Amino acid sequence: MPISRPEQDLPGPYVWRVVGCQGLQGVETLMKMVKSVVLAGLLAFAPVLGHSALAQDNAVAAPAATAAATPADSAAAGNAAEAANATDAAPAAATVAAPPRMKPTLGIGMPKPGEYTLQEQFTSTGRQARWLHDIMLLPIIVIISVFVLLLMLWVMFRYRQSANPVPSKTAHNTTIEVLWTVLPVVILLAIAVPSIGLLADQYKPAPKDALTVKVTGYQWYWGYEYPDAGIPEFVSNILSPEKALANGEPNLLAVDNRLVLPAGRPIKLIITGSDVIHSFAVPSLWVKMDAVPGRLNEKSFTIDKPGVYYGQCSELCGARHGFMPIAIEALPPAEFDQWVLSQGGKLAGATAAPAGASGPQQGSVLPGPPEGAPAAAPAAAPAKI
Amino acid sequence: MATAPHHTLVDRNRRTMIVMAIVAAGMLTLGFASVPLYRMFCERTGFGGTTQRASADVAVTKAVGHTMSIRFDSNVSPSLPWKFYPEQKTDTVTVGARDMQIFIAKNLSDKPITGTATFNVTPTQAGAYFTKIQCFCFTQQTLQPGQEVRMPVLYYVDPKILNDPDNKDVQEITLSYTFYPVENGKKPS
Amino acid sequence: MTTVTATPDDFSGSHAHHDDHADHKPAFFARWFMSTNHKDIGTLYLIFAIIAGIIGGAISGLMRAELAQPGVQYLQGWASMMSGDQATLDQAYHLWNVLITAHGLIMVFFMVMPAMIGGFGNWFVPIMIGAPDMAFPRMNNISFWLLVPAFLLLLGSTFVPGGTGNGAGTGWTVYAPLSTSGSAGPAVDLAILSLHIAGASSILGAINFITTIFNMRAPGMTLHKMPLFVWSVLVTAFLLLLALPVLAAAITMLLTDRNFGTTFYDAAGGGDPELYQHLFWFFGHPEVYIMILPGFGIVSQIVSTFSRKPVFGYLGMAYAMVAIGAVGFVVWAHHMFTTGMSVNVKMYFTAATMVIAVPTGIKIFSWIATMWGGSMSFKTPMVWSLGFIFMFTVGGVTGVVLANGGVDDVMHDTYYVVAHFHYVLSLGAVFGLFAGFYYWFPKMSGKMYNEVLGQLHFWVFFIGVNVLFFPMHFLGLSGMPRRYPDYPEAFAYWNKIASHGYEIMVVGMGFFFVNLIWSLAAGKKAGDNPWGEGATTLEWTLSSPPPFHQFETVPTID
Repeated sequence: MPISRPEQDLPGPYVWRVVGCQGLQGVETLMKMVKSVVLAGLLAFAPVLGHSALAQDNAVAAPAATAAATPADSAAAGNAAEAANATDAAPAAATVAAPPRMKPTLGIGMPKPGEYTLQEQFTSTGRQARWLHDIMLLPIIVIISVFVLLLMLWVMFRYRQSANPVPSKTAHNTTIEVLWTVLPVVILLAIAVPSIGLLADQYKPAPKDALTVKVTGYQWYWGYEYPDAGIPEFVSNILSPEKALANGEPNLLAVDNRLVLPAGRPIKLIITGSDVIHSFAVPSLWVKMDAVPGRLNEKSFTIDKPGVYYGQCSELCGARHGFMPIAIEALPPAEFDQWVLSQGGKLAGATAAPAGASGPQQGSVLPGPPEGAPAAAPAAAPAKI
Repeated sequence: MATAPHHTLVDRNRRTMIVMAIVAAGMLTLGFASVPLYRMFCERTGFGGTTQRASADVAVTKAVGHTMSIRFDSNVSPSLPWKFYPEQKTDTVTVGARDMQIFIAKNLSDKPITGTATFNVTPTQAGAYFTKIQCFCFTQQTLQPGQEVRMPVLYYVDPKILNDPDNKDVQEITLSYTFYPVENGKKPS
Repeated sequence: MTTVTATPDDFSGSHAHHDDHADHKPAFFARWFMSTNHKDIGTLYLIFAIIAGIIGGAISGLMRAELAQPGVQYLQGWASMMSGDQATLDQAYHLWNVLITAHGLIMVFFMVMPAMIGGFGNWFVPIMIGAPDMAFPRMNNISFWLLVPAFLLLLGSTFVPGGTGNGAGTGWTVYAPLSTSGSAGPAVDLAILSLHIAGASSILGAINFITTIFNMRAPGMTLHKMPLFVWSVLVTAFLLLLALPVLAAAITMLLTDRNFGTTFYDAAGGGDPELYQHLFWFFGHPEVYIMILPGFGIVSQIVSTFSRKPVFGYLGMAYAMVAIGAVGFVVWAHHMFTTGMSVNVKMYFTAATMVIAVPTGIKIFSWIATMWGGSMSFKTPMVWSLGFIFMFTVGGVTGVVLANGGVDDVMHDTYYVVAHFHYVLSLGAVFGLFAGFYYWFPKMSGKMYNEVLGQLHFWVFFIGVNVLFFPMHFLGLSGMPRRYPDYPEAFAYWNKIASHGYEIMVVGMGFFFVNLIWSLAAGKKAGDNPWGEGATTLEWTLSSPPPFHQFETVPTID
């Protein structure tokens, strides 16, 4: 049964496409627009979604609050009114209400329609890497390609048979041969310096007080556990197209239970796989780390701004490889703390909970998909249908 | 086809073929030999976060004043009906000092089951310095139905880590275990 | 550059393909099924590669149809068609993985490699070095006939259970544990066996080529006088000889993990799934050079011929290929940047990978320098070669981007990688194949191809593949992962354009097949050397097609 899908999940993709295709000068305009939409979006969503008084009281005055609303926000905020909160994890009887589900901002933390370059970045590594690509690598490779093309066109024109009936017999020129060996070496060295710097930055270990979250890849969903806060593992599944649409979220990227993280605090993800290799990837945070069964990987970063950042599994893991997306909801620190409490967790600084007592171990009692999800019967098939 | 120098050519061809066949066979052998070689390489260099092993009588000097946080992570294979977790999630140790962490395993099924654990540490470059003296992961563990055991890991962080520029910013090492069932017929390779 | 002192037997008159003539051709069955003649075996390889290419290309057509718009439109129907009853959505998704796996394996092992090495290598390496045949003609025949069952096994695997649905859905990389515990059923076993047999075929072929090139050169044909195509096949043969046995070992251990309870790649028994990736890419990276190096050789011959100039910097060109081959063995883990390797390892593989750009640059610039000062004509083989040089440059520079381990964190396993390797393979290796095909078609068949159709083929194909693959850079940059049957709305725009590119490319291929059939049936008779004074290698001293046994009196090269 083919999946039917409404023509437009998101408001106004065509606006982006037009803006996005205006060539290189368009990029700056684009960035400005993106920024204003983020800010406007944040501003717009905060009051709309802030049903709970607590949320508003606790909310750290988001930087967005200083921005003036632009006309763009009305479109972006279009679907905001109906935020579907039915999918909250809420495993414990919490005394604190969870902050409302954050609405994504169009084109932020997700691909933009017709986009032809990297997503906007929200980590320092991401910005550094994007700089390396946009300012260094891309111009260099474009110049080299254009140079080769022009050289070829010139040679084809100048030394065509009719223009040059008698070919020369030159087959050596030591100077030029040395030159085209040394010059690429110099260019590569110039690339290598910032590239190695970027690697060093990427591998900078997290500080001691980083929030550690355990990420586990399953066929075909993700599990998230907050060992320090004592929040047991919960499962994050793809949302059906209808639900995603109702939520105002992009189809195939929206999930039921997001990975909730604080913005502005260092985060350390420890990542492993349960059955086969998966890969935890979020393009707008410049994160991609394989989830390998039987071994642990770690990845550290700090998210600059609150927002919703989407990603997708990036290592072939079987039939539903394309249908186990990742959604990170980065909350302002105070709201994040509120979320932790709402999940029955403990805040950092409080005495660590005795680990064994809290929560089920993975593999035993999991909320979410039926046991034996691999090779599931047709009935177990997608949340998608 | 037969011309005068052909006879010696046949011999030369055969010789070349044999040499090349030996090269191919050598690469094939190398392919299989990579299994033990890879393991030795990992154990020697800590590649991929492979931990080191030391006997109990090795004397290590404590690097007083240098502490490090150790995080303990536990996983259970979906095919093993066990509960398995560390008694504490994190611990702060002095570099060079021995410390002990208890892991608790419980068989939730009504059959005796044997399990074995794999392990590594992150960041992976710390593997060369994370040294275990005693660990349940060195041997297989058999649990009776409903049995719960407390399994110690005795370890220390080699003070040489303080001199390694690659590890200079490391403040927390995570030690991770995954328990798998020992299946009949699956012999450890 | 070379003078042939002894001319081969006179070989005149037009004749049909398997006409028994003065030079004692065996009867049809013996000639084509028990062949020991390098030219006949080369022809068989080319026919095989064309058939495999049609199948592999049709599979990519299915994939582009499904990806033309978001949503899953066709997969479920196709899956139902193949299994005979209504397929579930999971089976449909599994079919997608089967398609990508089959497309990759077919194009690599059953199209590019047989055509480049088996086809052109067999046809022209012995002739170019002045040898009467390959060193081991019977082994040559075995090499070819091993490919046929290998291909049938791979095709057959699509119809038997492979986990969630029918067929092997592991990707061409066959990563454990998806390929072991993750894929029940015989499909993956059949696919692995297919790789074993294809690998054995290639190893035998490699030994044959090395022996031929080392021992059977005509007097005066020193290593440093060999045409660059022969050099490229020599380097390729060594890469095959060193890389394929490692793959054989790796996939043998996959088989035993799957069937005999070993745990080489299974963490449960103390194995490591990462080890498989190391072994696979120790083979896999040289493998991509195996596919492209003969293309380098072909393009070098053609550029020199149609510029009417000797190759610029011959020795640099030859040793650049040796360097590329050698460095190719120490860069494999750049395919594994996201597996969680430590920072030093990643830095090493970043640096080592970028080094490859240097010999590659030498080749690009030497080709341009060969044309510089030349007297260029733009016949079909030449336009394909020019296309090759530029498209390979584009694919090469994106390789430099991907080489940066830090940047690869976001590019890895996205369409940017897909774009990159299709630029170097589909627009590199395949352009090299077409260039070689048009270049040697008159020699192989004795007929001229149609120049207008050849040019049309180039231009339509060139536009098609660029429309098809260039947008994939954009998709990759904006984050679209590879091996996905469906994608968010945002990726729809460039995917639609890419699918249109496929349609254009198919039209281009139409010109190729029309040209092929028309030329074989009614092409003008080709002279010994249709390309004029620029064509200096030995094959142009022979008749077109060459006699069944050439160089019965060994030529001497000055």
